[in-house]
Amino acid sequence: MPTKIDRRSFLKVLGLGGAGAALAGCDRPSYATLEEGEEQVFSYLAPEEYVVPGIGVWYASTCLQCPAGCGVHGRVREGRALKLEGNPDTALNKGKLCQMGQAALQTHYNPDRITKPRIGDQEVTWPEALAHIQSKSGGATAWLTGAISGHQAVLLDTHLHARDGGGKHYAVETVNAQAWQAACADTIGDARPELHIDKANSVLSFGADFLGTWISPVKFMADYGAFRSAPRGVLTVIEPAMTLSGANADHWVAARPGSEAAVALGVAYTLASEYGVSTSALPSGAADAIANMTPDRVMELSGVEAQTLSKIAATLMSNSPSLVIGDGRYETAAAAMALNMMLGNIGATITPGVDLVPADLAMRNGSTKALADFAADALAGRIDSVFITGANPAFTASGGLKIKDALANIPLKIGVSMFEDETTQLCDVVLPLASPLEDWGTHVPSSGAGRGEIHVQQPLMEKLHPETLGLGDILLGLAQDAGADGLADFEDYYGYLRTAVSALIGTDQETAWQAVLQAGKVQAPSGERAFTANGALNIQIADTQAPSAGQLTLITTARQGLYDGRHANLPWLQEAPDQISKAVWDSWAEIHPKTAAGLGLKDGDYITITSSAGAITTRVFLYKGVHPDAIAVPMGRGHTHYGRYATGIGVNPLSVLDGTQDVRTGEFLATASVRVQATGDNRHLVRLMDVDQQYGRKLAVTISADQHRRNQTNNQGSA
Amino acid sequence: MSPDRRKRSPFPWIRTIMAVGVVGALIVLGGQMLEHERRGGESPMTESGPRVPNAVFPTDTFAGKDIAQPINYSHKLHAGDLGINCLYCHTYARRSKVAGIPPTSKCMGCHTAVATADDKPEIAKLSAMWESGQSPAWNKVNDMPDFVHFSHERHLQKFLFDNPDMNIQDSREVCAMCHGDMVEVGVAKKMRPLTMGFCNTCHENNDGPADCTRCHK
Ligand code: SF4
Repeated sequence: MPTKIDRRSFLKVLGLGGAGAALAGCDRPSYATLEEGEEQVFSYLAPEEYVVPGIGVWYASTCLQCPAGCGVHGRVREGRALKLEGNPDTALNKGKLCQMGQAALQTHYNPDRITKPRIGDQEVTWPEALAHIQSKSGGATAWLTGAISGHQAVLLDTHLHARDGGGKHYAVETVNAQAWQAACADTIGDARPELHIDKANSVLSFGADFLGTWISPVKFMADYGAFRSAPRGVLTVIEPAMTLSGANADHWVAARPGSEAAVALGVAYTLASEYGVSTSALPSGAADAIANMTPDRVMELSGVEAQTLSKIAATLMSNSPSLVIGDGRYETAAAAMALNMMLGNIGATITPGVDLVPADLAMRNGSTKALADFAADALAGRIDSVFITGANPAFTASGGLKIKDALANIPLKIGVSMFEDETTQLCDVVLPLASPLEDWGTHVPSSGAGRGEIHVQQPLMEKLHPETLGLGDILLGLAQDAGADGLADFEDYYGYLRTAVSALIGTDQETAWQAVLQAGKVQAPSGERAFTANGALNIQIADTQAPSAGQLTLITTARQGLYDGRHANLPWLQEAPDQISKAVWDSWAEIHPKTAAGLGLKDGDYITITSSAGAITTRVFLYKGVHPDAIAVPMGRGHTHYGRYATGIGVNPLSVLDGTQDVRTGEFLATASVRVQATGDNRHLVRLMDVDQQYGRKLAVTISADQHRRNQTNNQGSA
Repeated sequence: MSPDRRKRSPFPWIRTIMAVGVVGALIVLGGQMLEHERRGGESPMTESGPRVPNAVFPTDTFAGKDIAQPINYSHKLHAGDLGINCLYCHTYARRSKVAGIPPTSKCMGCHTAVATADDKPEIAKLSAMWESGQSPAWNKVNDMPDFVHFSHERHLQKFLFDNPDMNIQDSREVCAMCHGDMVEVGVAKKMRPLTMGFCNTCHENNDGPADCTRCHK
């Protein structure tokens, strides 16, 4: 009879065996695994000042993984950057860094970096590439970039102005806050006011994922920490698909896609009708929009009930001051600002930002409207050559935009990039860009925190690939070659930046410059802005009804991690479980279980999502945190040409957006009407946390926020 | 514009360093050699191993391979016959987890004055590398696995600097606990197994920490 070994005794045997092996190891060492002469060791030629091999030195620099521009400290040992952390001395991120910032090391050491210039498929030298550009780039030139600020932006302008044909700059970002900024400009005359989540006692967000990707997530996370400490602020989030901020909310409400503005106006209506909050001080147009948004109308447009509106109104009234934010569509942001005005938040949790006195350093915010403008100009033949850097329009453009046709209409396309991607593939010339950890620069934080504090970027190490060049150096060289005034004396961007920063701080002493580098920041002179009275507010409410049978509304969502797809080539971020689904290395479509049941779909079923612009095929993830009329697919994956880690992984939902633009801002809407069809395949979605419950095992004991509050009240009552 | 346009020379201060280095090296080494002479030049090693008071040293030995190196440097000559202190060249050992290979500038500090490239072919190799700005690619002889955290600084602190009965001149004895007596070999050879058992035995005998995470972190 075979001996039966149960799991427990099996483990015991293993334990004993393990100990035995360990003891044997002490007694008679096995020499087999130790290496001799396998690796090489190099000494310094001459010792570097302050450098001791084996001991890390921290240098200050700036994170360029998203437009927020957080300050970093990078640990360098033996000439290699090894670890990044937040710079504790910045007003913006106060020593914190998000996962995308941490993963900047993988951007830097990525094996798919471009190391040499190329023309077509041919690797060439820099002089050859530049001569080619020079000979072909007559006429109107353009720069297509991501959000950009600081001295690189100044040089970019200088380059465009120095050219005979003139030129235009298009700053493109898919994840942006354009709608919010437009609404702020229209209501208080300041597109970028400072937000004080930490000073609020309640926050109401309409789809602005401030903890994940909105404006400056690390800053907002720190503020959120203060907001949640005693007295604990109350967070309410209203959105069609749950974001990281939504997942943290005390009260999360699913609204039909596109109906967030209706809910916001409904809350305003309830504040006026139940609490007598006046709407008379609002810009003209807003009061009418609120008066028309009865709870019945809200229900009709969004599916949100009157009692939910009452509950939200009660939360806002009893937890003052509050802060209301909203983004995605202009009317959502405008309605959120109307709420702020009604609730007296202007001047309390929303205060004026500052203007940098060297105004040309300011952040050029990216938008998708800029991409639409670029495509229109290109199709009309108004662009003869374009430099593209920090943007991948061939991947991020809405499917409806036909960006490839637009690019094909530009005779000379120059990609200035660290990686081959969908856009460089269409470029005629590609120039290899140095990594942010090898480059100089100055960056203005996108949130305006720090009131004029500019972050300084300095190289943490020598270039890994000698033929790469920093963006500032490329811009300086191009501007010099175009005959720009006053640049002839600068040998490189370092020299230019040092001179420019010295002018900013009013001294060119070496010690002052070293202090700037050590701090990783410089305080630029800045002037206070003031809120101005406002004219009319045009809040147009979309007629969002339940979609017709067989149709769903696709929402493309942004996640901290792969972001707009730029980080899909970083294995750490592909491997980091998604904040909502916990999935790794693949795409998925979030569908409400009820909707899925109606369509006969179950978890892991592959579906084809078809819009007027195209189709994608991915698998179903059943999730209650999405409105039953919606289907949500996170953006970031679905690359066809982005190195070994990104190519062929997942799908790109941006490719099925139909190119509908927001009326006020011109931004592409992140929604499209789609049909869903099962393919018949089913495969398990790989997730870190495969089930959403603990089957009563109490592995991580939790209580609801309501229960916690009740306990606190009871305790206080009995004390 | 070209990619090699750089303003800052990598070694702006190299001439000064070298000038100071040559003078400094000769003074320090002269002193060390005189001390070596005064003590009779004999190896202080005992039959059974290094003489480190207040320590029980490991006795395990290991017959390492002969590993070819780019330059036929001799520990026997430098540390043995000339009596140069280990810590003169491996100067990082007392400050860092790694002992470090001396920077080429340190070698040249002496070899521009004594035993120069003119009469020694191995020094000619070194000089050529120095002139062309290349470091020799030494092949690692004692290589800890990547999952082991070992600190030279900590061990020198315990056995040399904090040891009341040790003279700093005798650092070689402490190094020999894990490296064997380097004056016995040419360039370098692995003479102790440096396995976990080897480390553990010594930690047990000398009250070293026994928790796993002290070395595996
Ligand atoms: S928020 Fe943006 S800038 Fe800040 S650490 Fe994260 S990726 Fe970097």
